[in-house]
Amino acid sequence: MFCFSKSIDKRNLIYGVFDDENKLINTVETVREKGIEIFDCFTPFPVHHLDTAMGISRSKLSVAAFICGATGFGLGLLLQFYMMVFDWPMNIGGKPTSFRMLPSMVPVVFECTILCTAFGLAILFFIRNKMGHGVVPDILDLRQTDDKLLIAFDSDKLTKYNIEELNTILKEKGALEINKYSGKYAVKNK
Amino acid sequence: MSVIDSVIRQPLVHGDKTYHDVTTDICRPLENKPTKLWWIGFVLSFLFFILLVVTLTITTAVGIGVWHINKTIMWGWDITNFVFWIGIGHAGTLISAILLLFRQKWRMSINRSAEAMTIFAVLCAAIFPFFHMGRIWVGIYWVFPIPNAFGSLWVNFNSPLLWDVFAISTYFSVSLIFWYLGLIPDIATVRDRTKSKIRKYWYNFFSMGWTGSARTWSRYEIASLILAGISTPLVLSVHSVVSMDFATSILPGWHTTIFPPYFVAGAIFSGFGMVLTLLLIARKVLNYQEYITINHLEAMAKILMLTGTLVGLAYITEFFIAWYSGVEYEQYAFLNRAFGPYWWAYWTMMSCNLIAPQVFWFKWARTTPWFLFMLSIIVNVGMWFERFVIIVTSLHRDYLTSSWAMYSPSWVEICIFFGTFGLFFTCFFLFCRFLPIINMSEVKSIIKNRE
Repeated sequence: MFCFSKSIDKRNLIYGVFDDENKLINTVETVREKGIEIFDCFTPFPVHHLDTAMGISRSKLSVAAFICGATGFGLGLLLQFYMMVFDWPMNIGGKPTSFRMLPSMVPVVFECTILCTAFGLAILFFIRNKMGHGVVPDILDLRQTDDKLLIAFDSDKLTKYNIEELNTILKEKGALEINKYSGKYAVKNK
Repeated sequence: MSVIDSVIRQPLVHGDKTYHDVTTDICRPLENKPTKLWWIGFVLSFLFFILLVVTLTITTAVGIGVWHINKTIMWGWDITNFVFWIGIGHAGTLISAILLLFRQKWRMSINRSAEAMTIFAVLCAAIFPFFHMGRIWVGIYWVFPIPNAFGSLWVNFNSPLLWDVFAISTYFSVSLIFWYLGLIPDIATVRDRTKSKIRKYWYNFFSMGWTGSARTWSRYEIASLILAGISTPLVLSVHSVVSMDFATSILPGWHTTIFPPYFVAGAIFSGFGMVLTLLLIARKVLNYQEYITINHLEAMAKILMLTGTLVGLAYITEFFIAWYSGVEYEQYAFLNRAFGPYWWAYWTMMSCNLIAPQVFWFKWARTTPWFLFMLSIIVNVGMWFERFVIIVTSLHRDYLTSSWAMYSPSWVEICIFFGTFGLFFTCFFLFCRFLPIINMSEVKSIIKNRE
């Protein structure tokens, strides 16, 4: 079991609470223009173009998935060649057991490719996000998985001027609240 | 980016929901005590599930002799039911994968339950070929390439039956991953709402530490797009491989190159029939009419009509090709289907699958829930009969007149079939009780955008 702790507890986070994705994207764009570093955004649903607005580069998961798929393809071929051609060729109904059986290898090779892609992708996705069964989630505010969209800043990385400026920007853009992360989250299993 | 207000298209979710409304509405069945209707449904399905366990035990303990399959008709209700259940599974993947690639946003309130249906249906399907092997305790060596003590013999990769093993196990596991990945954000929502300690522990366990960070969402979207991309050829391949179990044989009626596309169309047709049956009940019982709207039902009815007509075209093509080929065995096989001893099965199939869905040319038929419910049942029955017709009528009159035979199921076979419905609905009722049956995060992303 993966057990990464991401611990936002040690950071002094401040966050703005929004109830509309367009206001959030607007804020992200303005804040980035001013050169203020965003810690992260938290949304209850996928907000399109938020990643580009935040300047998150496209994940390389697709490349990884391709490599997993190619591995599966190879494994599928290897499996069948080893069993049917090399180790113990079986003559059943006169069907070929040499390289001539390649056409009938297609379905199994295909399934192996898909299987490895899916499993590889899922496992890499979980590792990349430091997700795992039983990981204590980094929840700033319980409403972030319900109906509120958060934009969080690490106040240690902001100067005092920044913080004031930030407050005005957030209010101007329609933030409902501006809170300090208090380090309290109801799910504590450990 | 702004809110898109289309003048020609209806909103996908009715009732002017806020994000919080979506959460509370969809979490309601999970957070309250189950209703009386739920208990009745659950207990009834569970009883059928027990019936399944009992009859499968009898089959294993006594042997396959308790079924009425014989030397000529070696595949009877078991493989019919297998193909029937696998077909039902297909709609789930079609909705979640193919409609995702086509950017069909109406899929979002139905994909979760359809995917769950896929998983449970594949589970039911797998029972049949597995128990048909008889001695199931050695069966595992016959289907999986595992080193064994029987003289290091491997499985036969030239056989379509083995391709099927690979196809179905891949299909099951990939569907499960896809479904679970989609569930994670919603499980996290439930986790953050629940007060009970035990529930919190388990929802936390399965949410895998989901926070909804923008970085995670960005990767999540890519991951689901890739999964959709690989599930699409997968779902098309699974039923193609199932059809090759028949098509690669030399039996008249089975030996047809049209089988793969014909089976896939049929699978989607029967799957949508089952999705409609389930959702029409679910939207009524759970009061989700605003999420699963008449527009959703109408869209599904249109797919039913399209695929039903495709299947009908395949029936007619088969008949035509049998005549056109000039092969008298082929011609006899098809004439025997329509006018032989199993004529009633053939005409049930024809009327349920080709003729019945034609009512969907009328808007009234597409938008009236009780009528749709009736039609969805007819589709389910029709597609079961299609598999029965293909399997039994082709087998019962083969090349050798001396081996001609008839087939009717034994009580064990009948009970196993109805037992699998018990398993299916038991799983589905548990799913409705413990997991959100509508994808909250996706629905939230579309309630403001009308496109």
